[in-house]
Amino acid sequence: MNSAAEMQRGKQRDYTPLISKVIIALLLILGLVMIGAGVMGIRDFDASGYDAEDAYGAIRDLSAVVDSDWESKLQPLLAEQTPETKAKLDAAAYAMLAELWESQREGSTADLDACLASFAESERAEKTYQLLYAGYAVNGPRVTTAIRKELALVPAEERADFRRAVLACITDETAPLPASATKAAGELEGAKRAAMLMQVYFVSYDDSGVGIDTELANSFKKAVRNKGAQLDAYAKVASGEIGWLTATVFGNSRTIILIGILLVVDMLLLIFLMSKEKTWRIDFKWILILAIVDFLLVFQLFPLVYLAAKAFIVDGAFSLETIKRLYTYEMNLKALLNTLIASGATMVLGTLLAFPLAWLVGRTNLYGKKFFRSLFVLTYMVPPYVGAMAWLRLLNPNVGTINQVIRMIFNMGDIPGPLNIYSLGGLIWVLTTFYYPYAFITISRAMEKMDPSLEEASRISGASPLKTLFTVTLPMMTPSLIAGALLVFVCAASCYGIPSIIAAPGKVHTVTTRIIDYMGLGDQGMNDATGLAVFLMVIAIIVLYVSDFVVAKKQYITVSGKSTRPNIVDLRRWRIPMTILVSLFAIIVIGLPFATILITSFKVDVGKGLWEAGNFTVNQWTQIFGRTETLSSLKNSLVFGAVTASIGIVVACVMSYLLQRTRIRGRKIPDFLITLGSGTPSVVIALGLIMTMKGNYGVNIYNTAYIMIVAYLIKYLMMGMRTVVSAMSQIHVSLEECSQVSGASWLRTMFKITGPLIFPSIAAGWFLIFIPSFYELSMTTLLYSNSTKTIGFQLYEYWTYTSQPQSCAMACGILGVVILLNFVLNRLTKGEFSI
Amino acid sequence: MATVTIKHITKAFGDNVVLKEFNETFHDGEFITLLGPSGCGKTTMLRIIAGFEKPTSGELYIDDQLASGGKTFVPPEKRSVGMVFQSYAVWPHMNVYDNVAYPLTIKKTPKAEIKKQVERVLEIVHLSQYAERFPNQLSGGQQQRVALARALVAAPKLLLLDEPLSNLDAKLRESMRFEIKEIQKELGITVVYVTHDQTEAMAMSDRIFLINRGVVQQCDTPENIYNQPANQFVADFLGKVEFFKGVAKNGKITFPALGGQHIKYDGPKTGAVEVAIRPENISFTSVKKGDLTGVLEAQYYLGDVDDCRVRVGDSVVRVIAPGAAFKKLKDGQEVGLTVDDYLVFDDDGMLEKLLEIQT
Repeated sequence: MNSAAEMQRGKQRDYTPLISKVIIALLLILGLVMIGAGVMGIRDFDASGYDAEDAYGAIRDLSAVVDSDWESKLQPLLAEQTPETKAKLDAAAYAMLAELWESQREGSTADLDACLASFAESERAEKTYQLLYAGYAVNGPRVTTAIRKELALVPAEERADFRRAVLACITDETAPLPASATKAAGELEGAKRAAMLMQVYFVSYDDSGVGIDTELANSFKKAVRNKGAQLDAYAKVASGEIGWLTATVFGNSRTIILIGILLVVDMLLLIFLMSKEKTWRIDFKWILILAIVDFLLVFQLFPLVYLAAKAFIVDGAFSLETIKRLYTYEMNLKALLNTLIASGATMVLGTLLAFPLAWLVGRTNLYGKKFFRSLFVLTYMVPPYVGAMAWLRLLNPNVGTINQVIRMIFNMGDIPGPLNIYSLGGLIWVLTTFYYPYAFITISRAMEKMDPSLEEASRISGASPLKTLFTVTLPMMTPSLIAGALLVFVCAASCYGIPSIIAAPGKVHTVTTRIIDYMGLGDQGMNDATGLAVFLMVIAIIVLYVSDFVVAKKQYITVSGKSTRPNIVDLRRWRIPMTILVSLFAIIVIGLPFATILITSFKVDVGKGLWEAGNFTVNQWTQIFGRTETLSSLKNSLVFGAVTASIGIVVACVMSYLLQRTRIRGRKIPDFLITLGSGTPSVVIALGLIMTMKGNYGVNIYNTAYIMIVAYLIKYLMMGMRTVVSAMSQIHVSLEECSQVSGASWLRTMFKITGPLIFPSIAAGWFLIFIPSFYELSMTTLLYSNSTKTIGFQLYEYWTYTSQPQSCAMACGILGVVILLNFVLNRLTKGEFSI
Repeated sequence: MATVTIKHITKAFGDNVVLKEFNETFHDGEFITLLGPSGCGKTTMLRIIAGFEKPTSGELYIDDQLASGGKTFVPPEKRSVGMVFQSYAVWPHMNVYDNVAYPLTIKKTPKAEIKKQVERVLEIVHLSQYAERFPNQLSGGQQQRVALARALVAAPKLLLLDEPLSNLDAKLRESMRFEIKEIQKELGITVVYVTHDQTEAMAMSDRIFLINRGVVQQCDTPENIYNQPANQFVADFLGKVEFFKGVAKNGKITFPALGGQHIKYDGPKTGAVEVAIRPENISFTSVKKGDLTGVLEAQYYLGDVDDCRVRVGDSVVRVIAPGAAFKKLKDGQEVGLTVDDYLVFDDDGMLEKLLEIQT
């Protein structure tokens, strides 16, 4: 009985764990091998005086050209020579090679002989020519461009004769020489003449007049730093000893090391997860997690760690030198203080505004509350720099509209002021008007989710509505209130657009503007920018920690199962005054700035009134639609935004599936990294990417569109993810299970049940990533190249250097796009979502 | 302790009338249950009494004081009633003690007095040792009792309970049911209790208000409601019942659907009638003695009783017999049925109309 059972077990033996172990072990070894090979590649080259990355590639490419030219062109010509001529030629070639060799490394003819001796005897002559060919391609006698052109003009049918004649002249000085070759030889004599003729011979292979590609020769020269190393390289070229694999592996050492490290990290992580899970089955979900983690490790965590390290490491040793120098410089200190004061004040003001607004709009019978709600939320979707531009026009001490009006009313004469936007106060004001919606959204969401019976219980216990507000509603809101406030703080601290437009011209610097200033100052500047960025990073990390780990623990907003209708407080006699108050607020904070932008876009001279003679124009509008520069940057913005949003939403869907539908271990790791990314100030993300993505660490996407898309993804991915996650959390898993029980496959269930149910959120998530990517400025300022300018950056450039009305017109255009998209989203999700 | 007088109260949300002409007086110390299917308006009635909703028309008096009606509206905090919410609404940012003490704190009761009172009610709900705990450290049943303690602490004259037991598991629900009843008896307060669970209503109430579609169907003691339902809806809502169409004539009712068989009837109704029979009021007998005869199709043993299906004519009649009958009879056997009790309603189609909205 017993043995039968054992036999049964034996038969059903499951090989999956074994296979998994083998696969993991193999991949781990592969990773280690890749790291080892990469390191060897770098070391090998460094020791020999090659430049790590390119040398093997250049050698391989040169070798291929030399080899094929030998086969197709040189060898047939040599073959038709008489044995004596051939012997003479061989000797001449050897002499030239020896000369070249000698010129590069003294007393090295012995090397040359040793080198040639390493080839089979029958091959030596051939290798001599090949060595010479390679050598002359890089270091041979120089043929002037004019002669190259002439050589190129030799007709194809005469080329063979031409070359035969040149070849003949190398051994026989008296032989007739074609005219262009004579010119090249000029007054050279003897060995030098022969060497030049040999070079002419090599160059005149075809009608390009180039011989070996100059670019190839140049990259070879660049890759092989010193002359001694070049000789070794010629030998390698002639012997063709570098295979494709070696060249690929050693030619991309850094990338190979990077992939190797990722493989090892992935496998170790996998082993860790498996040992925790006590299973040896490789779950496909782990592959998904690892893929996302890998991306974030390379493009997010590594640059951040690099930045932090760079600030503290000077010349390879830990030092506080950079930090000390930076933070004792008065201007920086001032900037730091300004940043703290401005963001602190913005946080307090923003929250103080947001809470009553959220309460009035969400929980009372205020008139037009739905309208106000969408209005306040819409501000969230407006690029902050647009607001800065508007307030500049309104509060400029000399020509600001509001200042003019105040002066007129109080008859103050022609003095500047009384209000000055170019100040810390101005900065705080604009930051507040643009970041309070962050707190507003956080708070009103929590308010709407709150179980109304919690407040009713207070009422029935004898507390008045006001008392209830303070003893129940407010304390219950505290976690969201803190979270909202911190969000405002970190956004304000890491904002670049507003301070760069408002504060910097008034010599009120903030950390972000200082960072960008330093960026323009070369390598040292880069380092200093990094040191300042660390400050922002620290702020962001503290805020993230507090809001995610401390506040989240006190999160007691209970979402009740019933669809709850929040309690509406009757404002009674306060209803009209409150409505007026909120309307006034909306007019000042939203209406006024947007009207200003719109009006300015039709002005010729921004200082004059719109209706003054000749000041009205539609030129700005026709121009923005006519100028290719603007159109191409608009196209860039749309494309980058769409690509970012599309990649982002796929990741968001995968992540919400992992987070909401599986208990797979390790699903929190990418979640954490994504949260970290979105909390990191834009400027810091961009700086980290610039420093690490130039190819010096295995990835080179500098100055491409990719680097911008990567940056946008890191910053905005979370917005999409949260939306989809919360939608998925609201779909009970039984809906999916029911579909599967009905016989639908998992995939079909996803498409037929889950997909349609969360589609509105997927669409909303897409737009939430798209819109900020579309008008992004802070990161773009650092990452753009001439071919990847975006509309936000273009607008900023116009504002600063060209024409303010023009950029106002563009701002209107951007707002138009945002509003249009909002409308599309509303339609697409059948009114369920609008931003 | 308190009386509640409801006069002509009607409540509408827009065009949707959820309560129609509610008239009643709840007496001192009565345990009143508002019972009905979901969406019948019972919670709305409770919230009107609490002051969370204003009636569209009509008047509400608590202790002969006008609470809602005309231009008068006493806000909830001034009504001195206690209330337990379906979701308990225990404040998560306060511990048990603070939660319970809240109504007294609002009244600015001296601290020592608060302590005494809170300890007293925590004693009543058996939570004395949990005073320092926070709600997230309590089970559902315990939270429910915190809510109850909070509602009781200020010694309200009137206690309102909105489906307080619906989120608890069956066993806890049963024990809480008796605890609440005990507390009510002990304190002698008036209780208005909302539920959709008929067993709960039967077990606890002095009087049940059975509501459907905003209209009170019957208001009476549990016994009377069960035994003398005012209409078919009431009969159907409480307990198990089966309806058969019949024709009353010459001292008997004939059932076309039961193969034309008949039972004796000496009531006043004639013509088409609707007969409601509770399965436990039918018993097996021999074929000869039975009022009806049929073929036993199936029987399910439920321990205390035996749930059987008997085919009579074209219909299947459900019979709940004592458990001892199980397997004494064989499936397919011909049996006689005695109808011990039944109710006769006019066939006015009321039932269909009322049943429609239940689903």
